Formats: sequence, structure tokens, C-alpha cells
Amino acid sequence: MERIRYLEWKAARCRRNVVRMVEASHHGHLGGALSCIDVVTALYFDKMKVDPKQPRMETRDRFLLSAGHKCMAQYAVLAERGYFPKEVLDTYGQLGSPLPGHPDMHKLPGIEANTGALGHGMSIAAGIALGCRSQGLPSNVYVVTGDGELPEGSNWEAASAASYYRLDHLTVFVDNNGLQISGGVRDVMDMSPIAGRFGAFGWATAEIDGNDMSQIVGVLDRLPLESGKPSLVLMHTVKGKGLSFAENQVSCHFWSPGEEELKRAVAETDAAVDRLEQEAGR
Amino acid sequence: MIGEWKDPRKEFGRAVGELAEQDERIVVLSADSGKSAGFGEFAKKHPDRYFEFGIMEQGVTGIASGLATTGKIPVFCAIAPFVTCRNYEMFRNDLGYMRQNVKIVGRNGGFTYSDLGTTHHSLEDYAIMRMIPGVVVLAPQDPTEIRSAAKAMLEHEGPVYMRIGGPKIPVLFEDRPFEIGKGAVLQEGGDVTVVTTGYIASVVMDAVRKVEKEGVSVELIGMPTVWPADRELILRAAAKTGRVVTVEEHYEVGGLGSIVSEVCGEGCPVPVKRIGLPLAYCTTGPYDQLCANYHLDAEGIARSILKFVR
Repeated sequence: MERIRYLEWKAARCRRNVVRMVEASHHGHLGGALSCIDVVTALYFDKMKVDPKQPRMETRDRFLLSAGHKCMAQYAVLAERGYFPKEVLDTYGQLGSPLPGHPDMHKLPGIEANTGALGHGMSIAAGIALGCRSQGLPSNVYVVTGDGELPEGSNWEAASAASYYRLDHLTVFVDNNGLQISGGVRDVMDMSPIAGRFGAFGWATAEIDGNDMSQIVGVLDRLPLESGKPSLVLMHTVKGKGLSFAENQVSCHFWSPGEEELKRAVAETDAAVDRLEQEAGR
Repeated sequence: MIGEWKDPRKEFGRAVGELAEQDERIVVLSADSGKSAGFGEFAKKHPDRYFEFGIMEQGVTGIASGLATTGKIPVFCAIAPFVTCRNYEMFRNDLGYMRQNVKIVGRNGGFTYSDLGTTHHSLEDYAIMRMIPGVVVLAPQDPTEIRSAAKAMLEHEGPVYMRIGGPKIPVLFEDRPFEIGKGAVLQEGGDVTVVTTGYIASVVMDAVRKVEKEGVSVELIGMPTVWPADRELILRAAAKTGRVVTVEEHYEVGGLGSIVSEVCGEGCPVPVKRIGLPLAYCTTGPYDQLCANYHLDAEGIARSILKFVR
């Protein structure tokens, strides 16, 4: 239980970090960052073999955010994990910032790929997984994709290759928050059944509530889901999770808050951190 | 041996195979394209370093990027349009923007897949590849240069695009080190400079002989690195002869002709005549007839040069 509480607390602090970036830039892809941030937190604080002091350590596990627009989630977690000082979060979106609106591996330690154009992450990750295995490295590779990016055909090229090469050290988490910029994902282009499609491509699959830390930890402990197969975790999530006024709102996909709304976001994320700290006696 | 005709794909595959014996980081990726790129032997000898993916050039480009992050040097060769146009965004972001040490080779470049159809032609590859910052664009001119260019490409740290042809081409040069970014004066002359690149070089040399028979002295420059440009060499020749012709199996816009025009325009404004293909979907047919149709045979090139200088 302590493990779950700890990760929930870290995730709450990371949500606060996300809002801190919006305070700096007054805009950002908020909704998707908040829907996937629980799994990103759990990966960096519980699962992955990484060392923030040696971000390029050869044996490290790798994390790629295929849905690069959700980068505030990764920036928030990397800062919390100690990859760089939290003050850097205040440069988000500023001229020359190491935190651009889509991540750049040459600007920030901990970033593995320059994602943002959708449908690239899984191919790069499959290549990393293939290379690590070929080098005899113990590294596992984790990817978060958005549900809205699944119609990109390149995903399915990567899905075929990962299965053909039996990359069971590769896990893809689909952040199925159900909303994209034009509306409901199933109205824009229905890719359901997502897990069924990956299953047909030869992946082992699982479905969880992606904002429930105990379910996240539960599935992380089961990886790989099946020996010899890449793993697909379909995470049912809530866009804008953690901000009462943003949850399940398409409008928070790219958020440009007014002053009042921003104050409310600060207050709600602060309160969430305070509550978890009081409960845990931290 | 000078004058011997060789298959460029086999020369390329053999060269990479030999270099891979010395460097275990080199791996070969195939999109159902490896064997026709001359990697049949490599695949048999090094099954652990030969990755077949089937026809998925976008995916393979991303996978190559990922492999490179683990220290591999991936070489991916397939039909030119499918490793340049088809996967352009992957090339730009996953290789260029990520600065990955990946080597992409377009075979059967230009319209060497003559009668197979316009979908299989690649007449814009120099142009679009040089628009990706940090990408080196190579077009070796004969079998010897294919081998030396392959070595230089693999020794260069960063993304490289190299175009080779398909039909056999003659050996033009003795073996010599290939320096990326450097062209060479193949023949000295005073009336006009002719700059060429790629496997059309032998045809251009024939054309130059015809031009010289008409009493025109030609400074001939071979430019096996399309990009980055050898500005110094171009400017020196332009200043010497006062007029420049470019010849390439590529659209007149965007490739060598544009590069030379840009360099001369800024550094030594002289008339520049670009010989290449008009910006259109070109017709199909046997390769030699196609070349003649677009005035890219020796006679056609000679006619264009003479018309320009007279």
C-alpha cells in the first residue's frame, strides 16, 4: 500500500509541475499530459532502471513519448526524478528553452527521441529494442502513445515488426482518454477494438484503468505479459485528470487558461499534494 | 579496370559487406529490398546483422533511428523514391532532427527504372534530401567511386543519403580516397565549365568529347557529393571560364543545377545552364530511349552545351 501511496503522491507532485509549466507559458497540451502522467510517474519512480545522474547510461531502460505533445507529463516527471532543476520548468515554451512544446533529445537529458509528429515513437522504440537485444543489453523499452494517433499507418508497421522480432522487452501503453482535438476519438476515427487489433498483430494485451495507480503497478509487475510477445497495455484514462474543470473536456487538449482558471489549477493541484502528504504524514 | 562495365548495386553491396567485416556496428536493413541491393551474401554470412522487415519503408526508417541510438550503424537500401519520398517525415525527424548515424541508399535512382513507370522514378531526391539539415547527399559517378563513397559514408558520423543507379556503368576512375564535400576537376579547359554528378558522368564525358571536337575547351568537374556543396571548386571554375553548365539525371530545379546557381549567384555571378529533367512526370520506356527523349544522351547533352556557349 505504501508503494501505491508513494506513487500517487509523486504523480500529484508531477501534476503540480505540469501546471507550473502552464503558469510560465500560459498554454500547453494539458489534457493528454494529465491523462498519461500516472503511468509515466510509475515507470520513472517504480519500474525503470534509470539514473538521472547518468541519463545516457548504456544499460538504462528507455521511455519514449510517441504522443510528443504530452511532453509536459514527461518534463514534470523528469524534473521530479532529478534529471534537471525544477526551475527549468519555468522556461517552458520560452525562447531557446530546453523544454519545447514537443521534446528534443539534444536539449534535455532523459529524452530518447524527438517525437511530436505522430506515429513515429513505436518504430523508433522497436529499433531501440532490437538494438539493445542485439547488443546484449538488459534494457526494456516503454512507449506511451495516444489513442488519437493510432490511425497513423506507421504504428502498424512497427506493430508488425515488433511482433515478428518477438520484442517482449517492448511495452506500449495506449493513453485511451477517448478525446482528440476534433472531438471523440471514436467519432473521428474509430480504432476499436484497440487491444483486439494489437492482439491480431501478435501482441499480448492487457486493459487497465490508467489513472488507478494500483492497477498500473499491477500491470507493470506482470511485464512482459507473455514471453516472446511485445506487450500492449490499453489504459482507459481521463483527459485532464486531476483538474475538476478540465476532466473529459476536449477544450483542455490544448489549454490557454485565463488568470482565474490558472489560479484554480494551482489551488487544486496544490491541494491534492497537501492531502496526500497529510494522509501519509509526510 | 577502367572501361569495365559493372553493376552498381552489386558493387555497393559488396563494398558494404567488406567494410562490415571490419566494423561490427554495421547492420543492414531490408524492406524486401536487401537482396536486390547486393546484400544476398551479407544476409547469408551475417544473419544476426541483417534485418528483414518486408515492405514498410516508414517503419524501417524509424527502426533504423532506434537501432542507431544503441550504437549500430544501420544501412538501408531500397528503390530510391521509397526511401526518400515515402518516408520523408521519418527521414527528417527520426534521422535528421535526431542526428542519427544512419545510411540510406536509394538504388535505381533517377529514371533508371525507365519503363517500370513514374512511380519508380526519383528525380527530386537530391533536392528534398538536401533540405534536411545535417544530411549529406552523395551520388558516386562510377563503380570505383561507389566503393569509396560507401566507405566514406560509413566513416561519416551522421545521416547520409546516397543515390546509385541500376544499369551497369563503366569504371571511370582509379581508386582514390573519397572526401565528402569535395569535387574534382576531371579535365581542364577554358571556354566553359561543365559540372556533373552521379552515374550520368560517363555520358557527360562522352558529351564533352563531342563538344571539344567542335573546338570548345571544357573544364569538367565531377561532384560526387551533391550536398554540402564544394563552393570553392565551383567558384574557382566559374571565375576561370565565365560560364557554367550543370548536368544531372534529376529535375532541373532543386538539385545540382540549383546548387551551382545558388553558389555562383552569391559568389561569382556568371550565366548558368542547367541540364536535367523538366519539372513534370516523365514518360516511360527503354532507358536509352528515355535518355534520348529528354536530351540526356551524349548527343543531346553536347547539343545543349554547344547551344549555350555559341
